[in-house]
This record gives sequence, C-alpha cells and structure tokens, in this order.
Amino acid sequence: MLVEHALNLAGIRDAAHAEYGPGGTPVITLLECSLLDQTITVDVATGSLLERLYGARRVVEHTTCSYGLAPEVQHIANDHGMRIAATDATGEVRAIERVDHPFFVGTLYQPQLRSAPGAPHPIFAGLLDALTERSPG
Amino acid sequence: MRPVVNVLIDLPADHPYHRATLAALGHASEHRRIPIEVQVVPTDTIRDAARLATDGSAVIIGPGSPYRDPDAANAVVREARERNVPLVGT
Repeated sequence: MLVEHALNLAGIRDAAHAEYGPGGTPVITLLECSLLDQTITVDVATGSLLERLYGARRVVEHTTCSYGLAPEVQHIANDHGMRIAATDATGEVRAIERVDHPFFVGTLYQPQLRSAPGAPHPIFAGLLDALTERSPG
Repeated sequence: MRPVVNVLIDLPADHPYHRATLAALGHASEHRRIPIEVQVVPTDTIRDAARLATDGSAVIIGPGSPYRDPDAANAVVREARERNVPLVGT
C-alpha cells in the first residue's frame, strides 16, 4: 500500500520494497530490530478510523513483520491523503489509513492473528461493515 | 448475491497466516451476520486488477510478502483506492 502510494501519489517514481532486492528508492526497508513473531503495543492516533474501530487508544497486537517504512520517507505516511493511524513504542509507523476513502487501512502487524470466534478483530469487522454499506442492493 | 472479499495472498493454503486470514473473515462474517463470498487470489494469477476492486467487493492484501507479482498487487491497491473499495492490507 505504501509503495503504491509512493509511486502514484507521493511522486517517488522509482519507489521500491527492499525485500525485492536493490534498486530504486526503498520505501519499505528491513527494520533495525526485527519484529518477527512478537507482540507489540500499538498507540492509535486520536481521531483516526482505527481509534473508532478499536474504541481504544492503546492496543496489543501480534506482528510477523521484519520490514517497515523507511525513515527517510516517513513523511509520505502523512501526505497526499494518507495519515499515520498508529505507531509503536519506538515511534515507528505501525498503521496507516486514507482520509479521503471510506475504508483503507494498512497495518504493519497482523490483526488476523488476534481474531477469534465470537470476538472478531475490529479491523476485519469494520471491513465487512464498510463493504455492506457500499454493496448495491 | 453475497458481497465478495478478494484476498490477495501467495502463501500456501495450509500456512498459518493464510488460515488465520480466512478464519478472521469468517469470525467477522459470523459475528456481524454478514454473509460473504471469499475468493483467494494469488498475485501471479491477476490479469485484470479492476475486476478485483468493483462495487460490492472488498480487498484484503494478505501477509507473506514478497509477492510473486508485486506490480499486480499494487495495481489492485490502486483500483481499490481510486474506486473507494474497502481495503485492508496486513
């Protein structure tokens, strides 16, 4: 999502994901400290869609990510309709969302790993709510 | 007709994150009483990104990069963004 944003909106025409090898401007790079298979505390931005979904400002999530937004281009997460929706304890961006879209959420953690029968993850429940609000008929 | 959720994921069906993604959709569907049709879409099978981000559908960009066809995944993200189709990327 951030690479698409960088390519098509933020004007980084050679935006790249470091996982695919060298070349271009790396927008997503290897984290200094890998968060592979860890539980993290996430601070949710005030007034964000994510805050509305969670009903909380601080949540615990599980992550399998080794990559994150490159510090050099961190500004693009708060530009061209995108905004930072959550950060972790180190200040790294952990979630983004679009302000000009009904439901466009990206996480650098895996909410599905915290979902359970009878207790769906709020992001997945919110996705279906948004889907039915748009479905014709 | 049930709304469609297109799940872009390249991990094998028995991978824990693949299973968790589909299970999470099932939990939400059951809890909200919103019947859905889930389509698993490996990125290297995408021929027309616009067909995966139509009115009445939603998109999940699943875990497990690197994707086999990252350009196709980006194209679907762009379609969803431009058409206001609900999208979650994990």
